[in-house]
Amino acid sequence: MHAPSPPAFPQIWRNPTLKIVVCMKETPSTEVPKSLGADMRLVRNPSDTIINPFDEYTIEEGLRQQEKLGGDVIILTMGPGTTNDPMRRALAMGATSGVLVSDPALAGSDAVATGRVLAAALKKLEADLVLFGQSSADAYGGIVPSITAEFMGMPLLSYATKVEVAGNNVTIEREAEVGYTTATAPLPALVSVAKAINNNPRYPSMKGIMTAKKKPIETWTLADLGLDAAQVGAGAAKERVTGATPVSTQRRREIYNGSAGAAQRIFEFLVENKII
Amino acid sequence: MTNDIWAVADIEGGKLKSISLQLASKAAQLAAALGGQSAAVALGKGAQEAAAALGATGVNAVLVSDDAVYDAYLAQPATDVLAQLIQQRQPKAVLLPATVTGRDVAGRLAARLGLGVEYNVTAADVADGEIAMVVPAFGGQLNVNATFAGDGTRLIVARQNAFAITKTGSGATTETIPAPAAPANGAKVSGPFGTEGATEEGHMTTVNGHPQYVPPPSRSNVEEAAIIVSGGRGVGGPEGFADLDALAKALGGAVGSSRPVTDDEWLPHHHHIGQTGRTVKPELYIACGISGAVQHQAGMQTSKYIIAINKDKDAPIFTFCDLGVVGDLKVVIPELTKLVEDYKASH
Repeated sequence: MHAPSPPAFPQIWRNPTLKIVVCMKETPSTEVPKSLGADMRLVRNPSDTIINPFDEYTIEEGLRQQEKLGGDVIILTMGPGTTNDPMRRALAMGATSGVLVSDPALAGSDAVATGRVLAAALKKLEADLVLFGQSSADAYGGIVPSITAEFMGMPLLSYATKVEVAGNNVTIEREAEVGYTTATAPLPALVSVAKAINNNPRYPSMKGIMTAKKKPIETWTLADLGLDAAQVGAGAAKERVTGATPVSTQRRREIYNGSAGAAQRIFEFLVENKII
Repeated sequence: MTNDIWAVADIEGGKLKSISLQLASKAAQLAAALGGQSAAVALGKGAQEAAAALGATGVNAVLVSDDAVYDAYLAQPATDVLAQLIQQRQPKAVLLPATVTGRDVAGRLAARLGLGVEYNVTAADVADGEIAMVVPAFGGQLNVNATFAGDGTRLIVARQNAFAITKTGSGATTETIPAPAAPANGAKVSGPFGTEGATEEGHMTTVNGHPQYVPPPSRSNVEEAAIIVSGGRGVGGPEGFADLDALAKALGGAVGSSRPVTDDEWLPHHHHIGQTGRTVKPELYIACGISGAVQHQAGMQTSKYIIAINKDKDAPIFTFCDLGVVGDLKVVIPELTKLVEDYKASH
């Protein structure tokens, strides 16, 4: 359901039918060394899968908006679905329910295909407010929110450090070079949340972990979304990976011990290398 | 499809950002290698004024519109005009800046026109008539080689400092392009706000109940700085950043930080360098009291020179620096600042 018109003075406006959808990515743990397989795709180990660290801020923001506004927080993710651990953790943080889009044809999807699938799922969910993280911590594209917004024909308020829903509008603040700017759009709308929102994502409580086990997680396939396999997956991608090389971090590594005379040595280094 | 290459400029608050000149320089170079024409596209307040600097990079043409609609709404008007131009003129590739706006416009163009898009690109050259790119992956542990397949304009979202600025141009033509109508359900922009407190000197303030050191705007843009003095937890607290700021001022650089510093609000968030913050590639990076976690390394490892100062001789930063000092910041930094100031005063 889309949000109805606001009352005249929407100071505190609660809407029990508001649908907040948080798009979450399951990413490999940032602590584990990564490699590419012969198919030039990331070698994944399902047991090392976590909530994309940026999305923790987004889930927290969704829950805070729900506490203010009412309605449901639905977690939407697309992936192989080999483990539901990240989804269960999001539900344990307090989200209402989850939707996993999983289909063998999705393997190798690029950002455009991912946005296409998310847009179709968000339309099916009739989302009022869609929240994304600023990017994933594995691909760092930060581009899926705008692709999704375009497929939905909706506004995207990106890189929010503050989110406020008032009546039928959502307003965000975004850091500028000096001070900040605001942007306002009518709902339904998409918002990408910057890590700089710094909203202290909550840890799941014991009670949260117990209740999360009973919360519903639906699995949707491409057919459920009315999409054709030819529109997604490796076959639809227009980008090609042709190789990869490890990055060398070899440096001179001259070590100077002690504070006395250290400034002089650094100063000489700056002059020697024509930095000053 | 033509062999033309375009670059989309980044203009913020009426000011042309240096990445615009980097992208325009690369567009001129790629177009020359492919036998096509190059163009820079500048949209919004300051676009007319930017035309000369963009033209000097060697592009054949600068397409400008300083219509107010581009600054009044996020991303959508720029997408509308670029989508129309791309369809009419069929460039081989469009280079966009890896900024919030650049990514938003690239994403919308890719979805609307069904184009391929490569992001976080750090190198682009012509090989066998196609554009070959380098994209760092997995926090900079790997450099991935990427290219495009099939038809359609290629969208290349490139990082700050990926390309060098050339100044080979003269006689670029300037073409004024039409502006689209305001989007029906657009994201309307207001501001900037909160600029009253901006001064040319660093100062302490309070954010969310935490004390914070705010460097002046001239030492706050880590992505454009040639020298960065960066601090970690070892700085001890927000007040400690005054010393780092003084060194940055003496060196003509900017102040950066590791993640714990901005998580604890010691500095504003746009100073954070690392996997989840900004990626930088300065001439000189001075890491003060930064242990050197892989997440931080990912954001600064392509710096030309890295100097590390840390009390802990076992800090990982000492494994990837050019010069490492095992010592006390509070002694070394003020002494170094004085040496640099005296040297600059006499040269």
